[in-house]
Amino acid sequence: MVTSPIELDEPRAEQDVQLSPPWVTLVWNDPVNLMSYVTFVFQKYFGYGRVKSEELMLDVHLKGRAAVAHGDREEMERHVEALHGYGLWATLQKDD
Amino acid sequence: VISGFHRTRRGIRAGLDQDQRGLLDHVLGEVHDLLDDGRDGSGPDEDPLFRMVGIGTAVEPPADPALARLLPDAHRDDGPAAAEFRRYTEGGLRERKRAGLVAARACLARPGPILLDDAEAQAWVVALTDLRLVLASRMGLEREEDHDRLAAAAGTGDPVQDQVGFLLMVYDFLSWLQETLVESLMAQLPD
Repeated sequence: MVTSPIELDEPRAEQDVQLSPPWVTLVWNDPVNLMSYVTFVFQKYFGYGRVKSEELMLDVHLKGRAAVAHGDREEMERHVEALHGYGLWATLQKDD
Repeated sequence: VISGFHRTRRGIRAGLDQDQRGLLDHVLGEVHDLLDDGRDGSGPDEDPLFRMVGIGTAVEPPADPALARLLPDAHRDDGPAAAEFRRYTEGGLRERKRAGLVAARACLARPGPILLDDAEAQAWVVALTDLRLVLASRMGLEREEDHDRLAAAAGTGDPVQDQVGFLLMVYDFLSWLQETLVESLMAQLPD
């Protein structure tokens, strides 16, 4: 039997996706940033709606942190760099 | 009349008197200089090729806590990853913050009423954040309840406390000003 290379490649690609753990961008509470400003940043930068942005902001405020985005590592690095530009205290880590 | 920022048909207008403009100009300049200071990748041991592609030598957070808050670690529990991230991003982040502070400052120099376009309003709302983060760090405002503690200690006649009291007054002014700007900007965003 001959297996076509296309069929060989497909399961490998799928395996790669499963092997790389998803990453998460966290925003941490600080006593300086205004609640309205944090909501504004989530709306403006991520394009989230008002309701979702306010929910995330309240998570930051009340629970000390919120997971604001999930995805691959490079994407989360871009988010963290942008959020630091806005003055938010953001970090990325593996989403275990 | 003190009015802060508000929307008009021609853009966001800043209602600031001469004293407020002078104060803002001063603090914007101070934070700009702070970001200029120290390791920004321009040291003599810097590899010019690395510099050209935006890779710096900074791997540790700045020693000054105010500067460290403006340029925080990107990884909480992974020192090597935080160092690597910093090497690739800190120089650019410093540069963007400085450019925003310069853009905000330039608006103050205009004669007459200050009207901001979208880019300028964006520069202002971020600049006000950076200013407040630096002032908070200088005053030791680290938890939400510290604000009341600092306010209570101010005005007791002690010279050090009086200085903190002045910083707190500036900080509160910046908070109020930022709130008026965020409100103006939010009105433009879809729900």
